Amino acid sequence: MHELAVATSLTEALLELVKEHSSSKVLEVHLKIGKLRVLSIDQLKFSYEILSKGTALEGSILQVEETPGYARCTNCNYTEKLEIDDLSFHFSLPQITCPRCGVNLILEGGDECLITRVRMIAPSATPVVSMNGHD
Amino acid sequence: MGVGIGLPTQVEVVTSAEGEVFDVELEVNILRENERLAKENRSRLEGKGVHAIDVMGSVGSGKTSLIKSMISQLKKDLRIAVIEGDVTTTIDSEIISSEGVPTVQVNTGKECHLDANLIRKALDRIPLDRLDLIFIENVGNLICPAEFPLGSDRRLVVISVTEGPYMVLKHPMMFRDAAVVAINKIDVAAAMGVDPDKLSADVARINPRAATVHTSCRNGTGIAEVIEKLGLKKR
Repeated sequence: MHELAVATSLTEALLELVKEHSSSKVLEVHLKIGKLRVLSIDQLKFSYEILSKGTALEGSILQVEETPGYARCTNCNYTEKLEIDDLSFHFSLPQITCPRCGVNLILEGGDECLITRVRMIAPSATPVVSMNGHD
Repeated sequence: MGVGIGLPTQVEVVTSAEGEVFDVELEVNILRENERLAKENRSRLEGKGVHAIDVMGSVGSGKTSLIKSMISQLKKDLRIAVIEGDVTTTIDSEIISSEGVPTVQVNTGKECHLDANLIRKALDRIPLDRLDLIFIENVGNLICPAEFPLGSDRRLVVISVTEGPYMVLKHPMMFRDAAVVAINKIDVAAAMGVDPDKLSADVARINPRAATVHTSCRNGTGIAEVIEKLGLKKR
């Protein structure tokens, strides 16, 4: 539900970047989003598509790399990467215990929400200069 | 003339020419604006020595009633204000203001959560110099508010037995950052066929650092304990 708010922040940050680089058009946007963020990537893309209409972002591809979270034992410090690919983890999280000492694991990381790379077109101020040197 | 297709006769350091494609590598937090404002709110509150408790939970879990009950126990000793978040209406702030404390209603309109900017504006309308404690009641929602820090220093999550026996297991994310979890309406637990101890055990498995308290705003059970666990002991 809050993906629209996140997509709004995203487009604001991108348009600022476009301005900073005097670009005319963004082609690709790469994001890193932690798997423990409560964000639906599909909804985020959908919101982005709508918000980008009529701006330098229109038609750009939003590529999302999802980064993992970790489960850590507060007792023995055992750490394991969470292999989470769907929402079923919501049901299993409460049952995660340390394989070494049986204590409940806490969750860490997986909370990134970053823009990592933006591909854009440099400003095309004037048409290509003709060969004879006249505009 | 060769316009760059094939034959690279000259190799140049790439600086983007007009109309050329270029990449910018960066590490910008998408939610940075909210996080920046949340930090600003936090330092503003800390500067005035004001504690802020963020209260989260479903619609109807009893957030407002619990805040009201805590205020009635605390108001003799602490100077309190409340920020009430809802999609619409001033019902909650009217309930709270009967306790005689300053209340600001924040209506989010179409948003499903409060954000740091709304809290910043609300703080402008509260006499921070003359306060010790602010309760911030978030919109009744179990998912979205978790992504938008407000600048509070502790989070209280309120759930109720009327939300059924699997409430905690179904919404684990909400409990990750809670300092205290109140399991409310325990006076009707038997009628609901819900075991509040089971809910406490579920919370403990998700977030062993959270304190769990069984409460009833009707008969006053557990209110003092929530106050104590939140570190709001009367002076």
